[in-house]
Amino acid sequence: MDNKVTFKRLTITFSVFIFFLYVGLIFSLFYFFKGPLFLDTLLSGRTLFSLRLSLFTASITTVISVFFAIPSAYALSRFNFFGRQIIDTVLELPMIVSPVALGAMILIFFNTPAGGFVQDHGVQFVFTVYGILLAQFITTVGIATRLIKAAMDEIPARYEEVARTLGASPLKAFLTITLPLSKKGIIASSILTWAKALGEFGATITIAGSMAMKTETIPIAIFMRLAGADIEGTAVLVLILIGIGLSVLYGVRLLVDRKSYV
Amino acid sequence: MPRIELNNISKYALSNIDLIVEDKEILALVGPNGAGKSTVLNIIAGLVSYKGEVYFDGKNMDRVPPHKRGIGYLFQDLALFPHLTVAANIAYGLKIQGYGQTVIEKRVNELVDALHIGKLRDRFPNNLSGGEKQRVAIARAVAPFQKILLLDEPTSSLDAQTSKYLRAELSTLLRKLEITAVFVMHDLLGAEEIADRIAIIHKGRIEQVASPTDIFFQPKTAIVNEFIGMPNILNCDVCRILSSGLIEVMCGEMRIVLPYEGTTIKKIAIPPHDIYISDAKPPGPELNRYTGIITEIIPLRSIVRVKVLIGGNTLLAELPMETFVEMNLEKGGEVFAIVKLRRLRYFET
Repeated sequence: MDNKVTFKRLTITFSVFIFFLYVGLIFSLFYFFKGPLFLDTLLSGRTLFSLRLSLFTASITTVISVFFAIPSAYALSRFNFFGRQIIDTVLELPMIVSPVALGAMILIFFNTPAGGFVQDHGVQFVFTVYGILLAQFITTVGIATRLIKAAMDEIPARYEEVARTLGASPLKAFLTITLPLSKKGIIASSILTWAKALGEFGATITIAGSMAMKTETIPIAIFMRLAGADIEGTAVLVLILIGIGLSVLYGVRLLVDRKSYV
Repeated sequence: MPRIELNNISKYALSNIDLIVEDKEILALVGPNGAGKSTVLNIIAGLVSYKGEVYFDGKNMDRVPPHKRGIGYLFQDLALFPHLTVAANIAYGLKIQGYGQTVIEKRVNELVDALHIGKLRDRFPNNLSGGEKQRVAIARAVAPFQKILLLDEPTSSLDAQTSKYLRAELSTLLRKLEITAVFVMHDLLGAEEIADRIAIIHKGRIEQVASPTDIFFQPKTAIVNEFIGMPNILNCDVCRILSSGLIEVMCGEMRIVLPYEGTTIKKIAIPPHDIYISDAKPPGPELNRYTGIITEIIPLRSIVRVKVLIGGNTLLAELPMETFVEMNLEKGGEVFAIVKLRRLRYFET
């Protein structure tokens, strides 16, 4: 009994330590927090542009990533096909390769003849908002697929078999059974994808650069202010990012914790 | 309503299976775990690929996908759609197949009434008991006017009482719907209550397909005999109807008293585990109690089979090893035997 209590206390101590580590970091921001400066920085044209750009690109990226992730997650969750394991492994690329390296890979691609063709005849990605979208898409689509696949893995394939015997084609069975049942997982994955896209820095700055009022997302703005030794401004922007990020994650927690059907 | 024909089917444990299920027939596939019973259902439904041919009413179905085969399938785990209410679960197949709202409502009402689940219409599967879930799953499987119903262990997860009631209802419903049904059961007694014919399947081979009576009284192979519990078959020479709803039959010199059900009895099957034997005279009335001589003792791993000569019949009795060890039984010794009445089967004329 005593051993149990001691062990319990020990594990709780570790979790409290991690909590204070982060909270301590957040509180340290307030050391440089000055009320009027917060409002000035928040309401400045440059910050509002960054905020709008970040929210806009993260939202568009989320829609595109989830659009690609849903069918691929379904295929990986339900079917055995040649190359499935390889695809599954490659999905983790954004997790194992640093975002700067991912950005560098994209930039290198645009320097190949194929990449040059895309730039010349298709969309101009380098140093544009499209570049931000591409960087965010590349860093999030693998993770979105992985998260949605996990949600679909939870749903027994048996439901679809039942639907098939009741007259549903594979597509109808997917649309009427699997999709509604994985709705919560898809929403949670979308929000996490959105949060990841919002905080994306490494790949974005590599492809889109850091042009004020053009490609300056919030994370890039934080970097720029820090590089200019503007600690107060940096603290304000970090607080904005934390505010958005934490409220979104809290929303996800509420959603996921709610009783599931399955 | 279709006749199902399986020709030379092979898949997993199944090898070269031939099986015919007649139109409107209720056929039970019975056998031990891993025999391939559920695979037969999945092949009929088209849910797995297979070697061989499947015909419905002479039409080859091998290239027809599951959703176009017109089959209702009650899976062992039921798999009620958790995000839909009971009524929506039942209506699912009808909606998917494009039936109009009036037809859907009429059919759902008809089925919830037939299965006594009217009060559950707006509940979600999470809030249903095992028996209720079973009823909803049955209603959902037959709702879209399916011509064939496949049932995988339809009552296995229920307690004995609920299971018995549900089997009776299922039997009535299937006959009322005039549907061709194939169901899988590992319990022979349960299968006997519903099925027109039983197919005994063992290690991927069909050992015998016959009526329940024929399976018990004319097992074709040693495996079938073993599976049905190696019953002692006694030929009855004389039948005499007694007062108080009983009938007395003489099998050799053995007098057995049974409930009278309006017919005379030609043969009786007594499973070995329904013969209790004891080295001491048991208390109670003398009805269906005998003395006999032990002719052979066959010890197995956890049970002991004892052959006893009673009134000119050699009966095989089976008892647990622990019980055997506690008693003083030996070959040539006298023993008392009680025949348990409720599990007897009769071949009536």
